Amino acid sequence: MNTRTTRVISRTLLFPTLLLAFAATAFAQQTTGTINMSATVSKFVEINSGGAITLTGNSGGGITTDGTANTPLTAQINLGELGPSNTNSFVKASVPLKLRSNANYVLSMIATVASTGSTSDKIVDTDVGFGLGSVTRAGTGVNTGGADTNATSGDPTLAGNGSVNGTSGRYEYTATNSNLGAFSSSTTALSGVRILNAVPRSNTNGLTVPAIFSVKPQFYEDGSTTVAVTFTVSAP
Amino acid sequence: MLMVCAVNTISAQTFDISSGGQPTITGALGGSVTGSASVLNNLVVTINFGEVSPANTNSIVKVVVPIAIRSTQPYQVSASLAGLGSANPQGLQPSDIGFGAANIRAMGNQSQVCTQSNHIFYPPFNNDPASTATIAASGRVTYQSSLSNIAGATVILSGPRLQKSSNPVRQANDGYIFDAIFAITPQFFAAGTSSATLTFTISAGPSVPC
Repeated sequence: MNTRTTRVISRTLLFPTLLLAFAATAFAQQTTGTINMSATVSKFVEINSGGAITLTGNSGGGITTDGTANTPLTAQINLGELGPSNTNSFVKASVPLKLRSNANYVLSMIATVASTGSTSDKIVDTDVGFGLGSVTRAGTGVNTGGADTNATSGDPTLAGNGSVNGTSGRYEYTATNSNLGAFSSSTTALSGVRILNAVPRSNTNGLTVPAIFSVKPQFYEDGSTTVAVTFTVSAP
Repeated sequence: MLMVCAVNTISAQTFDISSGGQPTITGALGGSVTGSASVLNNLVVTINFGEVSPANTNSIVKVVVPIAIRSTQPYQVSASLAGLGSANPQGLQPSDIGFGAANIRAMGNQSQVCTQSNHIFYPPFNNDPASTATIAASGRVTYQSSLSNIAGATVILSGPRLQKSSNPVRQANDGYIFDAIFAITPQFFAAGTSSATLTFTISAGPSVPC
């Protein structure tokens, strides 16, 4: 093959090659484009204060740190005098809770009671009554058809929830989960189905329930007592 | 023969859609958006809105996807949706993803400026859904337009010729760019994951003068 023949072949191949390259570029044009989208919704639960605390039957004491609706719950209550000098039948504190969730929830509680006394007559965890009151699901965006299961016996001061022990004479909270002795380890107090429909977090509605604590003044051993209660809500 | 085939192919390509630049995302928790920043590349965008439960405390997750379009004759852009739609009414639904289109602008000096016809965003899509979000009586967030307004191939935009030349090869300055805008307000949706694909198509549109 001589040099002239090679040039002719090269030119002959070059033009179609350029055309093919050009055509390939033109094929880069598209009449469609795609956007793929994804999103995740995780289970979400929260507990906040449901509003101001009420304290009744107290002698001295008071609400040191009150609850503020829709803010984290960090209440502090001084129950005052719990000896027989307090002639009220019960010292009772009602702490409103507000729960919100996009899934089934479980509210559990753990409590510790510590007294300075040294005998069995000091205040112990079974002397502190506890129960959850009426559950309310109300307001725009709330799943009002949802059911809830209260694992406590309600207001611990109700007549059916306690009585004087005929042998010892000590007043005792006898109903199921009606005193803090039942919550020395984390124990379910309330559970139920999703609380809120698909509404934004700016919607402040939710499930409200009062957590009720009570102590019946008695001839306890003198001293001071500290009660610490922690509520936890989870989505199993 | 090769030359004839090539010319036929080139002359048939009068419409083009591509990336219009780097997509952006704001307000996301664990979300992201990926796509080419080059207007010479195909439109292939992946949006991960991330967490849209109340765990995301931002008021809204917003994604802006620039889309470049080119044509040598009047055009229309349609959108079609595949996927999405939870059986649980409290789950993420197409109506929970705001979708709008806005902000059309020329790419450069090879963009055709027509004086006798406008580029028209079709209602209800002519809005930024992040700005039109409202709360319905049920408490759920609604938008002027959302993915629920897309039924089949739904036209969202049309107008006159987009490029001056008939050069079929993408240039950086020979068409128009508009923004496809998406918004989700984090809410107490039922837990789960959702996905969908939105396909944009450019084709011959209403015959309007330039």
